Amino acid sequence: MRVELDDGVRDGRAVDLRDSDFSPATVDRAVGDADWIDCADPGPVHERVSPVVAGSTVAVRAALAAAARSRGLASPVDDELAEARAELANLNPPSVDCETARRRVAEAGEREAALAERVSELRGRVEALETAAAEGDADAVDDERTAAIRELSEVRTERIAAEQALRSARETARAARDARDRRLRLEDRVANRRRTAREHLAAALASEFADAVDAVPGEGRVTDPPAGFEGDPVTAALAVVRVAAVDAPVVLACDRFERPSAAAERLGAPVVRV
Amino acid sequence: MLLIVTYSQAARQTLRNVCSSHEGTVVRRFGRAALFEATELGALLALRLREKHGGDVQVERTEPFNEFADAPDAVREAAAAYENRDATSTPYAKFVAGTDHPSPERLREREL
Repeated sequence: MRVELDDGVRDGRAVDLRDSDFSPATVDRAVGDADWIDCADPGPVHERVSPVVAGSTVAVRAALAAAARSRGLASPVDDELAEARAELANLNPPSVDCETARRRVAEAGEREAALAERVSELRGRVEALETAAAEGDADAVDDERTAAIRELSEVRTERIAAEQALRSARETARAARDARDRRLRLEDRVANRRRTAREHLAAALASEFADAVDAVPGEGRVTDPPAGFEGDPVTAALAVVRVAAVDAPVVLACDRFERPSAAAERLGAPVVRV
Repeated sequence: MLLIVTYSQAARQTLRNVCSSHEGTVVRRFGRAALFEATELGALLALRLREKHGGDVQVERTEPFNEFADAPDAVREAAAAYENRDATSTPYAKFVAGTDHPSPERLREREL
């Protein structure tokens, strides 16, 4: 790697930046952006372990699986996983929206109920006026009732049309939900196969990882192979780097090695010490 | 009751969270679906889910099914007779041939 600083260039497989004021995250970002650090592109192993900072946690199984991938190992479910991912990427379920149709039905229903009530109220008034022999008044109210009946019939037609529209929207929604169903099943399948792949890949490096845990400085031990680890997470992170094939520099912010070159040698990876 | 069905991982997770924190309103939980009490709180929870996850949340209102009121005698009797048949391998269509029990086609055409 080649690191460009204000006061000059540093290069090699082990670069010491402890005399600068960079934070581990800043340096890690520079490795990723190939900004002022010129180096190979970091991969999934870096995402899992770099920067190695005291006190941070490591998802050992996932990191170990990434290490296995970096070595070109595959899992028996890779094809299925790729297929499910591809299908998932091509799946674009149409939207499900019956809200407008539901609102229309509800509003038409409300108006219809209100009008029906008004019609029966007017009928009552017509009858009362007729009984009271107020024929003139009764005729006027009757006209009003006739108008209300006409309006009611219009609203009823609208309500029926709205219900039909809602039925058809629900049919469309059902088809859209079938696609969503499929998507959910695929998402579950991807998650499931990823887990299987991860377990397989981690298991493939189990004994190497246990050896690496012993080989790197710091306390820790494998309790439940492949990924059951007890101890300082920094030890686990270093052991993962040691078993992985890493080309991009790993950012080390931990006191485990006397010199960066010793770290690079023991880990089998380029390192930047911060 | 309100039937809530979810159609994405995120919606399913939210439903799980809602179910754990509102046990009193949740009548029953199924993997990605649940039945809520038909209360305004049930409606609030359902609408919150829909607000958050849109089309990935389906909300339906369910009614109890009373076979004595909601299904004709012929259907009830056919179901009982078929489940008590002698040969378990006989499909329903074959079972009803030549009997008074309704055929699958006829059943399919008739709304409850």
